[in-house]
Amino acid sequence: MTTNTYLIKEGYNNLNKHGSKTISTMLIICATMLILGIFIIILQNVNKNVETLRLEQGLQAFIEDKATDEDVAYMEDEIKLIPGVSEIQYMSKAEAYEDAKEQFKDQDYFLEGLEDLEIFPASFIVKFTNIEEAETIKEAVEKIDGIYNVKYNADTIEAVISISKVANYFLLGVGIVLLVVSVFIISNTIKLAVYSNKREIFIMRYIGATNSFIVKPFIVEGAIMGIMSALISFIIISIVYVYIYASLNSSYALGVFKFIPYSTIWYQILIAYIVLGLFIGIFGSAISLKKYLKA
Amino acid sequence: MIEFVNIVKKYDHGIVALDNVNLKINKGEFAFLVGPSGSGKSTFLRLLIKEEEPTSGKILVEGKDITRMKKKDIPYLRRKIGFVFQDFRLLYDRTVEENIVFALRVIEASEREIKTQLKTVLQMVGLSGKEKFYPNQLSGGEQQRVALARALATKPPILIADEPTGNLDPKTAEEIFKTLLEINARGTTILVVTHAKDIVDTLNKRVIALDHGKIIKDEARGVY
Repeated sequence: MTTNTYLIKEGYNNLNKHGSKTISTMLIICATMLILGIFIIILQNVNKNVETLRLEQGLQAFIEDKATDEDVAYMEDEIKLIPGVSEIQYMSKAEAYEDAKEQFKDQDYFLEGLEDLEIFPASFIVKFTNIEEAETIKEAVEKIDGIYNVKYNADTIEAVISISKVANYFLLGVGIVLLVVSVFIISNTIKLAVYSNKREIFIMRYIGATNSFIVKPFIVEGAIMGIMSALISFIIISIVYVYIYASLNSSYALGVFKFIPYSTIWYQILIAYIVLGLFIGIFGSAISLKKYLKA
Repeated sequence: MIEFVNIVKKYDHGIVALDNVNLKINKGEFAFLVGPSGSGKSTFLRLLIKEEEPTSGKILVEGKDITRMKKKDIPYLRRKIGFVFQDFRLLYDRTVEENIVFALRVIEASEREIKTQLKTVLQMVGLSGKEKFYPNQLSGGEQQRVALARALATKPPILIADEPTGNLDPKTAEEIFKTLLEINARGTTILVVTHAKDIVDTLNKRVIALDHGKIIKDEARGVY
């Protein structure tokens, strides 16, 4: 048995020795990870749906009223030159009116008589190949003379985007708070473990143990707690997500909203959890061991 | 082997624990450190293993000034000095064997070393056959032998015993000292802090007496 395997074994034994404390610590870390996981999943789903809708619907660029046919042709050429634009479609004022009538087909009475007034502006519908380029394309289109407004072509998307922005900040805030709580809890558990091993530590010092020798089993203990919490959280969240996916995705209750299949995000969650678990475990134990690093 | 040069140790509250102590203990010597409580014996030991720093002066161990030693080298200094306590300081949830192996793990000994050293020290202290016993299943004298075996397992050139027989009856104490003498005969330098007057008087070894932080007596073949 090399020294390192011995130290890992000692760390593992510590876990068993403080069984109930270990379990309660892991439960709290799991809770943290689950909450974080749910937020990540919601965020991923919202982002993905926004992307899909943006890609499907494209941008709508409104043309100033004073624009002549030549101007329109020029604008169309300009837009075509923007990298990433896959399709461009001109919608005249008349077509815009028809489109509005189509959208309000049951209540189109209030549109009657407006046809001649040409209140609906002409526009281009611009589609693109890659969602990542959407913002750049939007900015480029906005700069073209004769275009006075560019927006994503579905009103609902704009709302979803602002909600997802709020969700992003909320996630970040909750994540930081929970992370701090988890680190604090694990450091507290390790502090107790150190305390209950203080006799061993005292003897070790007299025999001539190096600091790293004394500290390693506790770091291992923290890391094991972190990784085990990560795996448990991963299993729970996988089961829940797959269940929700199966029962909700086929229903019409969610409208256009579509859940991302779990197969495309499971590894991101697993990696995030393990990294997070290791960080919480190692950092948490390290801060409680700092004062024991004196000779 | 051990040399204290003009060692002064003052504590923050103004108490002078050691007052200009000069002392040399040679390799292979067996010496007693005696004196009433508060005379500075414990401070002497704490300075020797660098648990505390002297206010002034220098301490040489195997020719090296440990007062200038770096923090990270302290464990290696302590590996040269085996330590035995009055209250044994054993791990009661581990067997005799595990207590001794514990020390060998700490100094990161190889598997082979662990095996041979375990056998050697158990024989040295007369505990062969009791490897699987827990400390609580042993007598006080035997427990101190486990502590002795643990201190010797790492082959330290110096052995310090702080009141090793303070908790033991006279007959058992005598046996422990017999073992200490045997260990000394194999070449280990030994310093024993003790109040066991009778034993000090009969063994006829070097006696260093401290009082109020000063050496008041240092005789090659002394009495308490």
